[in-house]
Amino acid sequence: MHFLKGLLLSLLPAAAFAAKKPAVDKFQQFHAKALSSAPLKLDDAVYTQLTSAPRDYSVAVLLTALESRFGCVLCREFQPEWDLLSRSWTKGDKQGDSRLVFGTLDFTDGKNTFQSLGLQTAPVLLLFQPTIGPHAVTETGPIRYDFTNGPQSAEQVRSWIGRYLTDRPHPQVQRPINWTYGIAVTTTILGTISFLSVAWPYALPIIQNRNVWAAISLISILLFTSGHMFNHIRKVPYVAGDGRGGVSYFAGGFSNQYGLETQIVAAMYGLLSFATISLALKVPRIKDPKTQQVAVLIWGGVIFVMYSFLLSVFRIKNGGYPFWLPPFS
Amino acid sequence: MSDTIVEPFLKGSTGRNTRGILRLSILVLIAAAAIASRLFSVIRFESIIHEFDPWFNFRATKYLVQNGFYDFWDWFDDRTWHPLGRVTGGTLYPGLMVTSGIIYHALRALTIPVDIRNICVLLAPGFSGLTAYATYLFTNEMSTSPSAGLLAAAFMGIAPGYISRSVAGSYDNEAIAIFLLVFTFFLWIKALKVGSVMWGALCALFYGYMVSAWGGYVFITNLIPLHVFVLVCMGRFSPRLYVSYCTWYALGTLASMQIPFVGFLPIRSSEHMSALGVFGLLQLVGFVEFVRSGVPSKQFATLLRGFVLAVFAIAFGGLVLLTVSGVIAPWTGRFYSLWDTGYAKIHIPIIASVSEHQPTAWPAFFFDLNLLIWLFPAGVYLCFLKLADEQVFVVVYAILASYFSGVMVRLMLTLTPIVCVAAALVLSHLLDTYLSIKSPSAPTDADIDAASNAAPAPSKKAAKQDGLRAMREPLVGIYTTFSKTSVVSALTAYLLIFVLHCTWVTSNAYSSPSVVLASRMPDGSQHIIDDYREAYQWLRQNTKEDAKIMSWWDYGYQIGGMADRPTLVDNNTWNNTHIATVGKAMSSSEEVSYPIMRQHEVDYVLVVFGGLLGYSGDDINKFLWMVRIAEGIWPDEVKERDFFTERGEYRVDEGATETMKKSLMYKMSYYNYNALFPPGQCQDRVRGVKMPDQGPVLNTVEEAFTSENWIIRIYKVKDLDNVGRDHAAAASFERGNKKKKTTKRRGPKVLRVE
Repeated sequence: MHFLKGLLLSLLPAAAFAAKKPAVDKFQQFHAKALSSAPLKLDDAVYTQLTSAPRDYSVAVLLTALESRFGCVLCREFQPEWDLLSRSWTKGDKQGDSRLVFGTLDFTDGKNTFQSLGLQTAPVLLLFQPTIGPHAVTETGPIRYDFTNGPQSAEQVRSWIGRYLTDRPHPQVQRPINWTYGIAVTTTILGTISFLSVAWPYALPIIQNRNVWAAISLISILLFTSGHMFNHIRKVPYVAGDGRGGVSYFAGGFSNQYGLETQIVAAMYGLLSFATISLALKVPRIKDPKTQQVAVLIWGGVIFVMYSFLLSVFRIKNGGYPFWLPPFS
Repeated sequence: MSDTIVEPFLKGSTGRNTRGILRLSILVLIAAAAIASRLFSVIRFESIIHEFDPWFNFRATKYLVQNGFYDFWDWFDDRTWHPLGRVTGGTLYPGLMVTSGIIYHALRALTIPVDIRNICVLLAPGFSGLTAYATYLFTNEMSTSPSAGLLAAAFMGIAPGYISRSVAGSYDNEAIAIFLLVFTFFLWIKALKVGSVMWGALCALFYGYMVSAWGGYVFITNLIPLHVFVLVCMGRFSPRLYVSYCTWYALGTLASMQIPFVGFLPIRSSEHMSALGVFGLLQLVGFVEFVRSGVPSKQFATLLRGFVLAVFAIAFGGLVLLTVSGVIAPWTGRFYSLWDTGYAKIHIPIIASVSEHQPTAWPAFFFDLNLLIWLFPAGVYLCFLKLADEQVFVVVYAILASYFSGVMVRLMLTLTPIVCVAAALVLSHLLDTYLSIKSPSAPTDADIDAASNAAPAPSKKAAKQDGLRAMREPLVGIYTTFSKTSVVSALTAYLLIFVLHCTWVTSNAYSSPSVVLASRMPDGSQHIIDDYREAYQWLRQNTKEDAKIMSWWDYGYQIGGMADRPTLVDNNTWNNTHIATVGKAMSSSEEVSYPIMRQHEVDYVLVVFGGLLGYSGDDINKFLWMVRIAEGIWPDEVKERDFFTERGEYRVDEGATETMKKSLMYKMSYYNYNALFPPGQCQDRVRGVKMPDQGPVLNTVEEAFTSENWIIRIYKVKDLDNVGRDHAAAASFERGNKKKKTTKRRGPKVLRVE
């Protein structure tokens, strides 16, 4: 009995030591690991160890699904930003003053964690605040960051984290200088200059050619007036299915369109304009009366049929539109 | 016989006079048609100011008429943006109000008693007649055919793209600005053609007027320098260009700086730098041309060209440096969002939230311009035939305006004039060709041979170098009458459809005052829904003179104009934080909102609710913008994510999120709504969902007024409780709920054993 008691007594301080000390060490241990390869690649076991309750440090964990079979575009787009952020934060804070550990938990390594958190979507960024120590907060649950506005930049996430880590250093994001890009740009500029200086005598007639400029102007006008900027800004799909296995060329609704739709419309406008130009400029210059008669009929017919078709397309977009021309009613 | 009767009128000076009278009467008729087609809303409803911004302009005009010009210039408005106030005189474009004020006083001086409201309502249609005339003048500078100008004027008069902003009652800056835009361009072309200081000065004068009227003057500030730059690049520099541009730039900049709202922007902000840069460039080019005329050495000219390039590069570098160092203001948000199309969505939700700032889908172009939209490229092509200074202007304008109108729906306005001009150019060309009575005689074989022999080879080569592909053959004319009649009748049919289209669009899409809504009864008669004015009238009659009304910013101007009560935020969105504060109060729970409302001394809260009527422009549909804007300032307290369900849906029914159900906006919208329906049938007709039977409970505000169709609901913010309870407890007591006794919590009975 005495022996046992003695053993117990001798173990007690050790147990108390064990209960307190590793929490401090845990951070140093993870921080050391992170210094060599940030962010830490976690699995279920490490995740539980890292985020277990008594901790005097913060943890930022990105729960993601990088494998291609999950088809998570957002995850893959954000991953380089996340790596950049964690690397530059850890580099900028070698002493570990901010007491923040970055970790990444992929779905393939941490199915259980995803299940226990009840996560349906990825990526999700969790920030665990310390429970003990000088920076402790009362709320124990992690703070969740959702990527509702699409992929975020490292700077945005850094400022989000920084909001919760008051009075601690927030190292800046250090973007690596993109040497290849710089070199490529310089080479291209120099190449263009030398090309221009060599080809200038040959290029000059093209630059001064009225037909070229007319073509450029007309194409850009057709592009802009057929709603190309809308496609560019809203990133609309090129075409969409109609639900019965076919292809729907025209989007329903007045302020909605598909990429192909705008090209069809631009082609219609282009054809109508071309026919008008022909009627106005080319036809009066045809010397042969018969040919001229045929040309008038052809171009006039093209305008009539095309305009009728344009009106019928517009009737698809705007249900109550009352005007039409034969043959497309 | 008729020929002989008409003949004397078409010849000599009599003929000129006849044509002049004809032209004048056609122009007057066009102006009348332009005005008449804009009166739908006055005839259908009444003479009323429309929408939102016009209410502010109307209020400001009334202030100007009552207090005089100098008070208006120094106007500090303490009845908006409570408690901040707004330096209104220094933060508006005064051109519109001053114009109406001058008309008002002029009519008074002529002893015509007219109400200022009627002047405001009819100002836009009146100016549309002037715009048609300005378009006529502008087009006449482009074309030798007199019919082109008349066609352009007619198009401009009835094109829906312009009507959309100038119907009667739409008392907005654009009402006079489009006239000024077209007229300034006409004066610029005139100045450039003549090279006279007088026309340049007139151009600057109207440019100054334009600056005082509309923020869109930046379009002119950039288009004219771009035109000059293109001309210089084409080697078309001339003393005419130098004189007209320098006159315009110097005087126009001085004139624009007289407007307090613009102030020193023309020399500081990057939007105006292109004008300054081209001014500098012209001095250099002018200097080089001057030296070249004196020194014939070719080497020297080359050296000078290098010197010009170097100076240009240094100036550009200096500009960049000044921008970076912050001496010159960076691009303003609205303007920047024109170039970087993703910018607004990320950085300025308040701009992205306005529907006018959305990109334009193709149906909108067709809707606003109909057949003009496909005549437009043909007209621009026609300008390449004779590429003189003014034709270059049309081309530059066409490309720039079509880009801008594609990015922002509102800028369709700036595109419409040039579309009308270009379409009129090509159409008049067509009509001139096909309406000519003279037919060429059919060529014989000998003629063709002679022609092919006579055509000298070098001239053909020259034509290839310079001219357009379509212009190589010599002009012959149209042979048969059948060709002429078929083409002309088809064109007439298209033009008739265009007129029908314009009338239909104006009547159906652009003539709703949006303050008064119209609906059809089952028997086809018209039913007017007048909830807005009913509610504003209630506010005017039942609240204190200085009762502060909190509402979303869309309704600020209307409350100020119709109810005459101070508001927290309005459509002049100059203070994003203040708007975000209102957004936070609307999207937070009552416990959070109440202190915010107390701090801002809010007496009444106004919400717009369309659930009963199926009115889709209500606050619940705008709610996410409030949340987004509030989140931009308080990302920790308001989160957009919390208003979406787990599956990412925006719901208002049983499945709405807790945050949504607790938000003040939701509670105020649906408060007591279920009482209208039998149990289990409560329905929201906008979102088409069934509402829960148990409606929300309000503690800190009480319902004060609900309009006939429930579109506007007004709540009074309760005062602090008399005996110091919190509002939830007081309301609970009022409802007769027993106070929960927290002290005696009885567990299960246990047998007591001693």
